[in-house]
Amino acid sequence: MKNNRRIIRGAAMLLAAGLAMGGLGACSGDKPSGEVTGNTLTVWCWDPAFNIYAMQEAEKIYQKDHPDFKLNIVETPWDDLQTKLTTLGQANQVDQLPDIFLMQNNAFQKNVLAYPDLFQDYKNAGIDFKQYPAGVVAYSIIDGTNYGLPFDNGAAIDALRTDVLTQAGYTVADFTDITWDQYLTIAKDVLAKTGKPLLSGQAGSSDMIMMMLQSAGASLFDAKGNPTITDNDALLASIDMYQQLVKAGVFVEVNSWDEYIGTFVNNSVAGTINGSWIIGSITSAADQSGKWDITNLPKFSNVSGATNYSANGGSSWAITSNANYALAADFLKATFAGSTEFYDTILPSSGALANWLPAGESKVYAEPQAFFGGDAIYSKIVDYAAKVPSNNTGAYYYEARDAVGAAITKILNGADPATALAEAQSTVEFAMQ
Amino acid sequence: MPRTIPRSTTALDTESDKQKRRFGIESRRSLTGWTFLLPASLLILWMNFYPMIQAFILSLKTGKGTRLNFADPLWYNYERLFHDDVFLLTLKNTFIYLVIQVPIMLVLALILATLLNDPNLKFKAFWRTAIFLPCAVSLVSYSLVFRTMFSNDGIVNDALLGMHLIGSPINWLAQTGTARFVIILGLVWRWTGYNMVFYLAALQNLDYATFEAARIDGAGPIKTFFYVTVPQLKPMILLTAIMSTNGTLQLFDESWNLTQGGPANTSMTMSHYLYNLSFRNNPNFGYGSALSYAILIMVAILAFIQMKVGDKRD
Repeated sequence: MKNNRRIIRGAAMLLAAGLAMGGLGACSGDKPSGEVTGNTLTVWCWDPAFNIYAMQEAEKIYQKDHPDFKLNIVETPWDDLQTKLTTLGQANQVDQLPDIFLMQNNAFQKNVLAYPDLFQDYKNAGIDFKQYPAGVVAYSIIDGTNYGLPFDNGAAIDALRTDVLTQAGYTVADFTDITWDQYLTIAKDVLAKTGKPLLSGQAGSSDMIMMMLQSAGASLFDAKGNPTITDNDALLASIDMYQQLVKAGVFVEVNSWDEYIGTFVNNSVAGTINGSWIIGSITSAADQSGKWDITNLPKFSNVSGATNYSANGGSSWAITSNANYALAADFLKATFAGSTEFYDTILPSSGALANWLPAGESKVYAEPQAFFGGDAIYSKIVDYAAKVPSNNTGAYYYEARDAVGAAITKILNGADPATALAEAQSTVEFAMQ
Repeated sequence: MPRTIPRSTTALDTESDKQKRRFGIESRRSLTGWTFLLPASLLILWMNFYPMIQAFILSLKTGKGTRLNFADPLWYNYERLFHDDVFLLTLKNTFIYLVIQVPIMLVLALILATLLNDPNLKFKAFWRTAIFLPCAVSLVSYSLVFRTMFSNDGIVNDALLGMHLIGSPINWLAQTGTARFVIILGLVWRWTGYNMVFYLAALQNLDYATFEAARIDGAGPIKTFFYVTVPQLKPMILLTAIMSTNGTLQLFDESWNLTQGGPANTSMTMSHYLYNLSFRNNPNFGYGSALSYAILIMVAILAFIQMKVGDKRD
């Protein structure tokens, strides 16, 4: 009994201390946001090593001409950002928004259409969007108006372990400008000779399919935004190839993102196809330095409009309706859309690749990268990015992607593709009602 | 407390005086009660009932984002639920969890509580803490730990391979049956100790004489359990059954963190689908609210049935 009382007293004291500290924390946290002046912009974005770092460098560059300028960067992971955005939009609390925030390209259409009152467009920002790849800008164009400034480059790459390829008697050149059928043949051979598959990915995620689709300029929606999951030649070809890759053991399906990264960091898979941002994860395995190289994607031989280029992910900056518009627009124009110095700073230290095409002409992009066997991979990627076909993601991108992901799981378990895709189509049509 | 005032002390008291004084004391008494009740009641009204009414009104509306209008017909969103294949699938999943997990968990909790209530048991405090401890773990962290344990190269596959029970790793979370099994296993691990504590508390309130009487009458431990312990614990079993049913129908964290609803939505729960509808996909708060009311109605019906079946007091 005595013991219990002591525990309770201890707990009460801890609680009191916690409350006091929480109170203090709140006080010190309040100060910076309290000093709202004409020189401060608040930004929401995620990833300290990438987006936040880029914002901090942009702040330094803008400060050279505007010494009083300050950024208040709030780290907000994308999932939280989407939830906040929905909540604020639904409750109409525009004054709680920051000036600028980062948004996944795939979520742009949906959010601008559902909550148009949260955004300001780029009409009066004086930014030349012709200096960006058309496919990337298209994500954030709604009714012909630009709502996003592309930042993070999502151009897809085929990253390969050169040491494993050498063992099997191949080079990266054998994987460049090839078709998926050729890829499958070589990959089977590599698997047979070295025991290493060349691809991995999350089961039920349709990232690979979406990249294959976009490489042919196709998507799950037509130009009017109607779902085209049935009668979609590019989709059928993609699913068929995906199935062949998985059945041949060339593509290993895992359950989580960490497992996916683990497959190539732990040497069990000798390559990956993804957005160029995957380089950050590849280079995290320091012991594999010099053993990687990149090339473009395989293309379909039997689909019209097929290319060797695609994209996955990527994100763009949005200006909110709560923003100091003139300052926000000028800041973005002077840094993200107009400073090669800025991109030259962030590329070597974070691998943050520009969508802004003039940056690709800089010398820094042409520097050989030791991790990738001395190849100038960044100028390669900028070159790929310019060739990515544009497609329509549509406002119902997430619904369609989930439905197709479920259909692929069913097909791999033996369901008839036509039936499974028809179900996916009706699921999306139902969601759109 | 006597409700009547004692007969007047002086004969001069008139009837109206008596009335006045009675009213005075009684109203003062109830005023004290109301003063204590008022803050909590107002908070509940404001934080609980007001949003519930708003959610009901919202469930009658359709539209994207903030551009909501009353549906035509008003019950459109509710009707839509019956045609929604994904909703029907999540409904089925949730009921599979309910029907399998709740009975297993409650029986286990009951057995553990009886064992731990044995006065001759050594290290009693240790066992109780050990079994209750999973409850102190956050839902998200235990889900993530389970996901790691049951991954392709996780500890479970390693152990089974090491013992030569399986030839190749089982992809637990990528198959419908095993994915549901992992979720149920996680739920049992997380919640059995919680329910056990309720039973332990109830067991300690039981009259020890009833167990002694049973022993004198020659009943073994099993007969004592079924004919003495369980009948006396009935109100507590009813309470835990209602709470567990309620909790399982609103299951979210495990579905979201452990399996992400996969493969092909076959382990997704209703609340997970509700979250997707409102926050992840195109925000459809009207339909989401209708779904939350559907869950409320199901919880209410099941609780009502359990009370009718479980409570045999006259």
